[in-house]
Amino acid sequence: MSSDSTTSSTSTDDPANGNPDPNPNHSIEDQLASTSLTDHGDQRTPSNQENRNGVDYASASEGSAGSDQREIENSVEQVPAEVAEEEVRRSSDAAGGLTEVEEELNKGGSGRRSVVWMRTNSEVEVDGPSSPSSSGYAGERGSSASSGGASGIDEVVEDEIQEARNDSVDAVLDSQASWVPGKRHVDEDDASISWRKRKKHFFILSHSGKPIYSRYGDEHKLAGFSATLQAIISFVENGGDRVKLVRAGKHQVVFLVKGPIYLVCISCTEEPFESLRGQLELIYGQMILILTKSVNRCFEKNPKFDMTPLLGGTDVVFSSLIHSFSWNPATFLHAYTCLPLAYAIRQAAGAVLQDVADSGVLFAILMCKHKVVSLVGAQKASLHPDDMLLLANFVMSSESFRTSESFSPICLPRYNPMAFLYAYVHYFDVDTYLMLLTTSSDAFYHLKDCRIRIEMVLLKSNVLSEIQRSLVDGGMRVEDLPIDLLPRSGTFPHLGQHRLPTDSPETFRELPVGVGGPAGLWHFIYRSIFLDQYVSSEFSAPISSPKQQKRLYRAYQKLYASMHDRGIGPHKTQFRRDENYVLLCWVTQDFELYAAFDPLADKALAIKTCNRVCQWVKDVENEIFLLGASPFSW
Amino acid sequence: MPSRRRTLLKVIILGDSGVGKTSLMNQYVNKKFSNQYKATIGADFLTKEVQFEDRLFTLQIWDTAGQERFQSLGVAFYRGADCCVLVYDVNSMKSFDNLNNWREEFLIQASPSDPENFPFVVIGNKIDVDGGNSRVVSEKKARAWCASKGNIPYFETSAKEGINVEEAFQCIAKNALKTGEEEEIYLPDTIDVATNSQPRSAGCEC
Repeated sequence: MSSDSTTSSTSTDDPANGNPDPNPNHSIEDQLASTSLTDHGDQRTPSNQENRNGVDYASASEGSAGSDQREIENSVEQVPAEVAEEEVRRSSDAAGGLTEVEEELNKGGSGRRSVVWMRTNSEVEVDGPSSPSSSGYAGERGSSASSGGASGIDEVVEDEIQEARNDSVDAVLDSQASWVPGKRHVDEDDASISWRKRKKHFFILSHSGKPIYSRYGDEHKLAGFSATLQAIISFVENGGDRVKLVRAGKHQVVFLVKGPIYLVCISCTEEPFESLRGQLELIYGQMILILTKSVNRCFEKNPKFDMTPLLGGTDVVFSSLIHSFSWNPATFLHAYTCLPLAYAIRQAAGAVLQDVADSGVLFAILMCKHKVVSLVGAQKASLHPDDMLLLANFVMSSESFRTSESFSPICLPRYNPMAFLYAYVHYFDVDTYLMLLTTSSDAFYHLKDCRIRIEMVLLKSNVLSEIQRSLVDGGMRVEDLPIDLLPRSGTFPHLGQHRLPTDSPETFRELPVGVGGPAGLWHFIYRSIFLDQYVSSEFSAPISSPKQQKRLYRAYQKLYASMHDRGIGPHKTQFRRDENYVLLCWVTQDFELYAAFDPLADKALAIKTCNRVCQWVKDVENEIFLLGASPFSW
Repeated sequence: MPSRRRTLLKVIILGDSGVGKTSLMNQYVNKKFSNQYKATIGADFLTKEVQFEDRLFTLQIWDTAGQERFQSLGVAFYRGADCCVLVYDVNSMKSFDNLNNWREEFLIQASPSDPENFPFVVIGNKIDVDGGNSRVVSEKKARAWCASKGNIPYFETSAKEGINVEEAFQCIAKNALKTGEEEEIYLPDTIDVATNSQPRSAGCEC
């Protein structure tokens, strides 16, 4: 593999490449110069479509063993008729990677690319008799007794049309309105057309086919469906094999077997298989957090063991986790994020937590919503970001934690899935809460004393008020991206200004405040690999509605999956353009940067802007990351 | 995860092909009968909610295929069953003789913790055929077999006429519930930091 010996300019339409870079170690341009490329680029154009179909492309290049498959997610409303442009350049070379050279793509790509078009018509699936009942009896659909008399075909069709309308309205409401905790559509079962049309189902069941959890519908009414899932999984297992994924038109059915617990996701959201599987892993982790893996022993002794009573009242924990799959990037980044705070303030919080940890507390965590203020672990104890996510979700979604100080057994699946810890949870205010984890089941009063001590210090050093202020001020904004590249003193430009909170999942900004950052930068996520932390910019126009935010996260998620694909990756850089965004991803040993730009953004400028973002993050890292006392260092 | 405690019972229906397993289930769940025979492929699943002694519970009924080529599905299907229903055709001696095989096969595959007391229910179906004139298995003979296998409850039904079907399933539910009553004790450990070296990789052991 020969090294590209040209200067940093490899693209004729890229004026920025000639620019001097003050930070040569951390620039994409620099990588450009020393890059050896094994690019198998492809460029595709989705054609006009009458239906809002998912379009899958599979392109294979003969140059490398890896084939490259991705999808363009068409917008729900309509597919623009104009040609969308997508450029992807990848390098699996460890020396570094680089993106984009349009000309090369065009001439080099055409000869060594086979594009496969797969179309699925959504109508076909909806109407298809996918009843789990194979008896052939008309009328019943392998399900509950409630389906009364035999319904004629006319009736059914009319039903479907009606339901379809309801569903589309519902879908809009679902994404626009603020999220209501708890389970919805309990009245549905697998015979309801509305149930069948839901875009993403999650199921937990036991290895005997007994339902444990379903995102939509009543678990007991879905007993027949659950049995069908078990039959499929066990049948494949009997043959000494394992079923991981079934594709049926637009739908993916993803299976995850965890001993006696089976988890299934049925989705037509076009999320990558890896993402859906990761979500099932988190759901399983959430269950372990509540019960530990010792439930497995119950199944060993008694295969007909019914787990549902043990999980009583935890519906809301699971639905809140599933909801977070569409707004919380921690669910696919496997990193946590911190509330931005002045270094001294975070230090003050850390110091008092450290005191407590020295007195026999395993972990002391101070959080504000889903963001970490500070956290401290006892010697050698380390906390995995996924455990933090699941713990925070458990605490935030359970209303009872808010109203009183609580002491609850919890299990950290990545720390030790077999056994319980005990969590003392106390809310200082509506958003800020303290979690003290211990191994001792009778430590309540000790932890209560600890909390009182911590609270005194936090009040005295203004930590709690600073937390509130940070909530109001928000985090990094693309509009504030420094234009000059001089290192700055680590403060936010807007610190002290009054701003509305925008980052909470419940309250999204209503009115567009700006038009994004320089060079059409709309949003970014920066993940520090060493710290296991990420920082993401506040949402800014035009990514203002929850629906757009969800779509952007899905796009990031897809990008993340493709960057980390074991088959064809890992990759260093990726640049892609479609009708919604320009997405740029850059992965180094130290960090991963995901950035979204205006679809018409200039490539060279976008790359330059990414360098600025990285520099900016470095400049303010004292405030946005928890540094030093890292219990995350393995 | 409903707040109100409900019990789910897995009921397996076994028996030779054509004895009327699917018809029984459909009569019970949907109050319907079809004269047309359609072989079950693999298994069918139906759900029925039942009220019993002021408690609500759900029967998850596994209607299996009687043909021998589906027997390989055994372990997967039988695991965790709360009750097993053995069905034969009173007009077919062979289907009655095979009850023994079905029962034994079930006990081997499902390997319940207490095979002696595992709840079975035996149903002799199709008593309506030819006004009972073509009947070859006498009630006495059937009851004797049931008694020899630990007093298995016995019912004679007609899925077509809906005779005794409700009663049979009431008994099935009652028996399934009986064994479901013994609660499994769920006793998780607490981490002992002193002795327990925490497992580093969090992968599953499966």
